[in-house]
Amino acid sequence: MLEFRRRRGIVAFLSVLTVGLLAPGVSETLAQKRKAPPVPVAEEAPGVRRPEVKREQQPGAKEFVEATVSKRTIAVTSSFNGTEIFIFGAIGGSQQPSAESGYYDVVVVVEGAPSRAVVRRKSNVAGLWLNTSSVAFDNVPTFYAMTSTRPVDEIATESDRALYGIGLDHLKFTPAVGQSVPLSNEDIKSYRAAIIRLKSNAGLYVDKKQFGVTFTGKSIFLASVVLPANVSVGPFWTRVYLFREEKLLSSFSVSHTLEREGLERYLHAFAYRLPTLYGFTTVVIALGAGLAASAAFRRSGPA
Amino acid sequence: MTFYLPVAEMSANILLFLAMGGAVGFLSGMFGVGGGFLMTPLLIFAGIPAAVAVGTGAAQILAASVSGAVAQWRRRNVDVKMGTVLLIGGLVGSVLGVEMVRLLRHHGLFDVAVAACYVIFLGVIGLLMLIESTNTIRQVRAGRVVAGRRSGQHNWVHGLPLKMRFHRSRLYISAITPLVLGLFVGLLVAIMGVGGGFIMVPAMIYLLRMPTNVVVGTSLFQIVFLTAATTILQASVNFNVDVILAAILMVGGVVGAQFGAAAGERLKGEELRFLLATFILFVCARFAWQLIARPTELYSITGMGAF
Repeated sequence: MLEFRRRRGIVAFLSVLTVGLLAPGVSETLAQKRKAPPVPVAEEAPGVRRPEVKREQQPGAKEFVEATVSKRTIAVTSSFNGTEIFIFGAIGGSQQPSAESGYYDVVVVVEGAPSRAVVRRKSNVAGLWLNTSSVAFDNVPTFYAMTSTRPVDEIATESDRALYGIGLDHLKFTPAVGQSVPLSNEDIKSYRAAIIRLKSNAGLYVDKKQFGVTFTGKSIFLASVVLPANVSVGPFWTRVYLFREEKLLSSFSVSHTLEREGLERYLHAFAYRLPTLYGFTTVVIALGAGLAASAAFRRSGPA
Repeated sequence: MTFYLPVAEMSANILLFLAMGGAVGFLSGMFGVGGGFLMTPLLIFAGIPAAVAVGTGAAQILAASVSGAVAQWRRRNVDVKMGTVLLIGGLVGSVLGVEMVRLLRHHGLFDVAVAACYVIFLGVIGLLMLIESTNTIRQVRAGRVVAGRRSGQHNWVHGLPLKMRFHRSRLYISAITPLVLGLFVGLLVAIMGVGGGFIMVPAMIYLLRMPTNVVVGTSLFQIVFLTAATTILQASVNFNVDVILAAILMVGGVVGAQFGAAAGERLKGEELRFLLATFILFVCARFAWQLIARPTELYSITGMGAF
């Protein structure tokens, strides 16, 4: 009788666990299966989306630039520890005599989704360091990396760099509307600088890597950007600008994404979409782990 | 070997957290304490966001205490009625505490609040333990017999209204005291990620005057239900329970506890308490430093959120 009851308990425990683990994932898994391409591509997640592409040719310019990124969809799995993406580009109608001639200049910008960031500043209150003031900014890219054939101040004019958002000084994040405390320009400046400093220290904002774009032929070039382990998931845009003698000839941008995959995606979705069931499942796991361990050690303990 | 924690949203070294769980499990097995008040600070020092450390801590304590609670239940050392009254207070405290965590996080003050709570609690407990254990060690060295505690006296607690009879504890006292005690412990579980045994056990002995044989069982009984409820509440309101991190800590913790218990039998009680007190004061000092030292970076960024 006791044996039976115990077994029934274990069955109930396992079924709760299974239902808890599977329920929110079922629809997603099915959807993925339907979308999955016949031949899975290494490192590319299933259900590769058609990239969004924007091409622009300046009036009067004979050349145009095109580019692509090595991985359109990067999977963030449980073992994600950062990755490197490559940007391959080509110049249509290239007038360049050789790869080494330096006839054209290329700037590559990889930018994560614009999002809201709250910056807090500590000050000393009665001997303790507390967060006492904060500013919310909108349009703060989660990630920003810029690289070019040579230092950007030699490639493009200050006004062009500001216009196209080239370089960390020209990020266009703005204080969110409806801040409770009015902000002075001085404050906004120091908070902006803090975002750039903190994100740079975290390896999420990089614009010091000059000579990162190299021509490998008369019309093709290559660049690489490292996405660190702490990069946020979401949509990315990679923009490529083609300059000659401080004049923009053509630009091109391509979208790509960083997505959670596997157990990682599943657990994150579970925790945020069905938080109560997720909490309940955690409780069941904790109970199971605690009881299983004590049962195991009672039989063959070290003591 | 790294693993991406889905809720903490950071890459973590599995071996580091396995070792951390093992070390805290070892200490808690050795000293016979829950270990939450050591685990949560260590997680914070290791770079886990304070809120995630606190929420995940509740799940870890649940795993660490359930087997003890079952063992005590089998030995009939649980006063279910007292445990239930404590639990009712505890659930109210947990709901309030989880809401306080939300508000403090919203205002960017949670890290400081946790640090301040730990400085106060660890400071007081560490000092009391240090004084008590050094006195006992000195007395034992001098060859005096250490007197046990006195009991049977009534205090102000016994004059409160709403009296209830607790048969198992052989007590006829006001329900207000255990309700308030439970509420306070519920707050601690939610805000500090501790089991609260270090408050609950002394309070049961000295304040409620419960017989010692039911104290540990009743405390564990309410901790199991309280931490289970708090885990679910934290996950629903604050999204700060990381199941992967909790699982890693549980594995390390339950294994460490078994070895710690074996090691603890070889040391004297007062020596153990002296060691633990030193350790507690060290953690306390680390939090105090975080509060008073001028930070090298005054600014910090949080993601989504209001202002």
